[in-house]
This record gives sequence, structure tokens and C-alpha cells, in this order.
Amino acid sequence: MTTTLNQSVSDVQNVTGSIDIASVSKSYGDTEVLSNVNLNIPAGNFLTLLGPSGCGKTTLLRLIAGFIEPSKGKIAIDGRDMNGVPTQKRPIGMVFQNLALFPHFSVAENVAYGLKLRKTPAAEMQQRVDRFIDLVGLSGMGDRRIAQLSGGQKQRVALARSLVLEPSILLLDEPLSALDMQLRKQLQIALKDIQQKLKTTFVFVTHDQEEATMISDTVVVMSNGHVQQVGAPQDIYASPETLFVSKFIGELNEIPARVTDTGPHLSIDTAAGQFTLPASAARGFAPRTGDAAVICLRPEQLKVLPTGANVAGQTMLDARVVSRLVIGPLTRVSLRVGETDMIAVMMTDADTAPLPSGSACKVSFNPDHARLFAPLSDDMASAFGEHA
Amino acid sequence: MNSGERVTFTKSLMLLPMLIILAMFFISVFTLFSSAFVDRGGFSLKYFQQIIDRPDYHVVFYRTVLSSITVAILAVLFSYPIALLLWRANKWRNLLLIVVLVPWLVSLVVRTYGWIVLLGPKGFINAFLGWLGVVDEPVKLMFNDTGIIIGLTHVLVPFAVISILSSLLSIEENLEEASRVLGASGFQTFRNIVLPLSLPGVFTALMVLYLASVGAIVTPLLLGGITEKFVGSQIYQEVMATYNMSKAAAWSICLLSLSFVSLVIIKLIERRALRGQE
Repeated sequence: MTTTLNQSVSDVQNVTGSIDIASVSKSYGDTEVLSNVNLNIPAGNFLTLLGPSGCGKTTLLRLIAGFIEPSKGKIAIDGRDMNGVPTQKRPIGMVFQNLALFPHFSVAENVAYGLKLRKTPAAEMQQRVDRFIDLVGLSGMGDRRIAQLSGGQKQRVALARSLVLEPSILLLDEPLSALDMQLRKQLQIALKDIQQKLKTTFVFVTHDQEEATMISDTVVVMSNGHVQQVGAPQDIYASPETLFVSKFIGELNEIPARVTDTGPHLSIDTAAGQFTLPASAARGFAPRTGDAAVICLRPEQLKVLPTGANVAGQTMLDARVVSRLVIGPLTRVSLRVGETDMIAVMMTDADTAPLPSGSACKVSFNPDHARLFAPLSDDMASAFGEHA
Repeated sequence: MNSGERVTFTKSLMLLPMLIILAMFFISVFTLFSSAFVDRGGFSLKYFQQIIDRPDYHVVFYRTVLSSITVAILAVLFSYPIALLLWRANKWRNLLLIVVLVPWLVSLVVRTYGWIVLLGPKGFINAFLGWLGVVDEPVKLMFNDTGIIIGLTHVLVPFAVISILSSLLSIEENLEEASRVLGASGFQTFRNIVLPLSLPGVFTALMVLYLASVGAIVTPLLLGGITEKFVGSQIYQEVMATYNMSKAAAWSICLLSLSFVSLVIIKLIERRALRGQE
């Protein structure tokens, strides 16, 4: 098993599989589902297209697959322009959301299908089919019919069927969305593992931010047909460039605010009180006096302190404890700050005074951690209807 | 027993229409058998013997079976591309389906007369061929097997279209795209994926069409004339012309047996062809 795996790795250890997407737009009639997308995907990357449903991520995947052609712009694979190249001539594999296994073929016949089309000699075909059935953990199941398989096993067949052709790029369209939590976790790890072994470029579509941050090298956050931000998962979490991205990745506290003065420091007025933030807190817009804005803070950036406390350099706000929830080493405190509900997460053994529910307290944060964004436009806000 | 399961008198009343239909069915089958097997108050195979002894009757059977096989195959061959077109035409499917089914709004007799107008010795087709100078004397398109086959095929095509279309529509979406991504051309995808998965519909169509054709009466009667009879038109003649009910009954039982045997054969072929498909 190990030797066959090494063989398959050496077969494909090369630098093919880079994708260049240049100014790509896609419209259906008057509706633009993708607008001016620019994206360079390096070979061997595990890249996730993340966004709410309708953000254009599946459309982008289908453009790379060649099922549809861009209205504007150009997609190149390994430097070769793909406009007009039919799907079957592109160096890609694809795993579909509904898996699209051939119900009239056995497991082995499904895996062998692409090899048969390439007129692979029988002996080599048999060997490669066996090797990839082993690779995805289905040894000995080659003769099973598709209807006899469980959901997780079907996933693995779909993966083997694409990977056996050793494509330089594998496209995955929410392949795990139909599975239960535990199986999903298992397959996420299996996918990551296989990707690292084969060094294939994976382009993975999902609307699940946890899944995206867990398995990818690069995350592309999309909304309304636009790329919002591209980066490593931890960078996107730590320094989101828009309010949309902040909301979509990880948990977030938002305080509606108004800018009362600009300069080296921004004076901010909120229902919880007035304070100043460094000018660098503003992201993606230049705040002017009178502008509405949203202050964003991660739950772990908040500290809950007794009412009398005062810490130099920290912004202190009056708050009230709504409830406390101890989850092993972490404590989640629900707070009411001014007119806003907020969540603070801290270590359970922190030496903060035990604050009972309903008691008054102070919430503090480092003003350098706060980020100030322009409020979401209505169409963006609607995207959170199903994911908030 | 809880009250929800109790069979009340009113509820059992709802079964009445079904019971009446069942009773009619058994009475008619009983009458059929009693008139075919009974002669002068005793069991007799006399009427079957009359059929077996006549070589010209054998021809009627051969003609019925061979023409029906031809009709079923021809209609499926015509229908497959139509079904494929309807399957592809997502937006227009329902409208096109209505176009396919419109002939059903016209009575069978009227449609068959339409074919007489087209196929007759002085009909449209012969007039056209004569005008082109392709033929010197009219081609015999009617009052022979050709006429019956043309008429029956036309009548039965919509059934085949519906049967094949329903089978195409049950193919899971993305299978074609999956095939393309794995390297298949459009034609390879059709041959390897679409065609095998549509075979259940094809076999249903073959079976329904064959059985409908074997039992056909009106079309063979009008397009086959007096001499070229189908089993169905023979029975019609025994009932309406010679009033020989017992012989008609014997014919009917032969037709029933023929259909049953054919059904078994088609099912066996289907099972072989679809081996491995659920």
C-alpha cells in the first residue's frame, strides 16, 4: 500500500495545475452572477471558494470545468487559455455535490470509466483502479453496486473516480454537504490527507466557514459575485478587510457607531458610550465626521472586569452580565453593552471576579484590536439571512 | 382493535364500484371461456380445432406477431430521438409534449381515415410520386401489411415517447457532466451513460406497443382491408359479420395466450439486457 502510494505520488509530482482567472465575468441576461473576478491559484494549492449560496462560487467552479464559458475575461490553466476548450479536453477532475456516480456501473467500473475512455491497457487499468480504490479506503469493495454503498463510501468512490486519472486540478462542489457532522469531519481529514499526498490542486466550494478554515491553504471569500478577500485562513480571521468577511469567518461582536471627529484618532459615539480609536482601525473606507459605522471585536478580544476596574490603555465600557456558560477550559459570557448583545470568551481559570448573571460589570478591549467598517449594504446583509 | 381501523358500513360502501367492476370482469371472462370451450352443453375443443385446421388462419397469427414486432421496433426508433429532444428542451418540454400528444384528441378512426387519404392508390403519396415520375403505377401502400404497420406505428408513437421520456427524466442530474469531465465526448456520454440508463423505458415501450399492436382492431380493419387480417380484426369479423360468438371467443383466448407468452419472452430479454442495473 505504501509503495503503491509513493508510486502515484512520484507519477504526479510536478508543477502543473495552476489556474489564472483574469477579469472574469459571467452574466445571464441582465443578471451578473460573477463580476470581474481575478484570482491566481498556484499549483498544488488547496483553495476554498467560500460564500453564502448565490455568491457565485459554484458558477466560478463550472467556468473552470468548462461547462459554461465566461461572458468576459479569460481562464488559463498552466498558462494555456481555456476559452473554447471543451470540458473533456481540460486537465481537470470534478466531484459533484450529488456525486453523480453512474448507477449502472459497479464501484470498480465507475473508477475505471475515465481510464477506459483513454484506452488504457487492461493490466495497467486494473492496477490503477485497485490502487485508487485502496487510496480512498474502499479496498475489496470494487464489485459493489453503487446502490449498496453508504453516503461516505459514495463520496470516496466519487473521489477515486476523479483521482485515478491523476488530473492536475480537482474541482469539488460542496461534496460533503449531505453528510452528517461526524462523517463530514472524517472526510475533511481524508481529503486534506489525499491532497497532500498527491499534490493535486484542489478547488473546493463550500458555504461552511469552519470547513473552509480547517482544510484549506487559501480561502477565497465571495459574495454577490465579487471576491471579497483572498488569504490564508488565519490571516482572513485575524485581519478581515470588510465587514462581510468579518461576519462570515468566525464569531463577531458588532457595535453600531457614529464617527464624531476624525484626525489622528477617531472619536466614536455609541449607545454604550463615547471613546476614541486609532485612525488605522478604519478598514476599507475613509471615515468622515457624521458617518455611520460598525465597530467589530472578536469574542476573545473582550475582557470582563468588575465595575470598579480600570486598566490603562484599554477602552472600558459599562456592561451587564446576561449569562455565563462554562465549556471546559473556556467560559462564554453573554453581555448587554448599551443596546447591543455581545459575547466574550475567556479562559475559565482567568482570575476575574465571579460575576453572577444580572450583575453590572465593565467590558474592556484594546483599541488597537477594534476594527471599524462601513455598514453592510442591504443586498449583502440579506446574505446573512440563512447563515447568521 | 382501535376505532380508526374499524370497517364501517359506509366505508365498505366505497368498495362497491370496484366490486362491480371486478364482477363484470369475471363474468365476461367466464362467458368467454364457457362459449369457447362448451358446445351443445358439453366440454369441447371444436372451435379451437376449427382455427388450427385452417392454414389461412395461421397466416393471420404470423402476420399479427411479425407486424407487431415491426411496429414496436419502428415506433421506438422514431420515438427515441423525439424523447431525447423533449428531454433536452427543458423550457419547452411541456409545450412540445402537448404537440406530441395532440393526435390523441382526434378519434382513432378519423386518424386512420387520414392515412387512407395519404396512402390510397389515388392518395397524396402516390399522386406525388407519379407527378415526380418516380413510379409508373401506384405503389401499393394500403390493404397490405405496409399500411397496417404505418398506421399502427403512427398511432403508438406517443406512448413510446412518454415511456422513454420518463426514463430519461429519471436519470440523475450531472451524470452527463461527470462523464464529460472524465474525458468522454458527447457521443461517448450518450452511448455509455444516457442510452443504458434509458433502456428500462425502451423496454416498457416495446412491451406496451407490442401488446397494443397485437390487440389492434380498427387500424388493421381500415388499412388492411378484407384480406389482410389481424387477430383483432378477425375476431371483429366473427362477431359482427358471421355472428359466431363461440369461434370469436376461441380466437380471443388464442390472442390472450399469445400476448401472455410474448410478455414472458419480452420480460426475459429485458432481464438479460438490464442485468446489473437496478
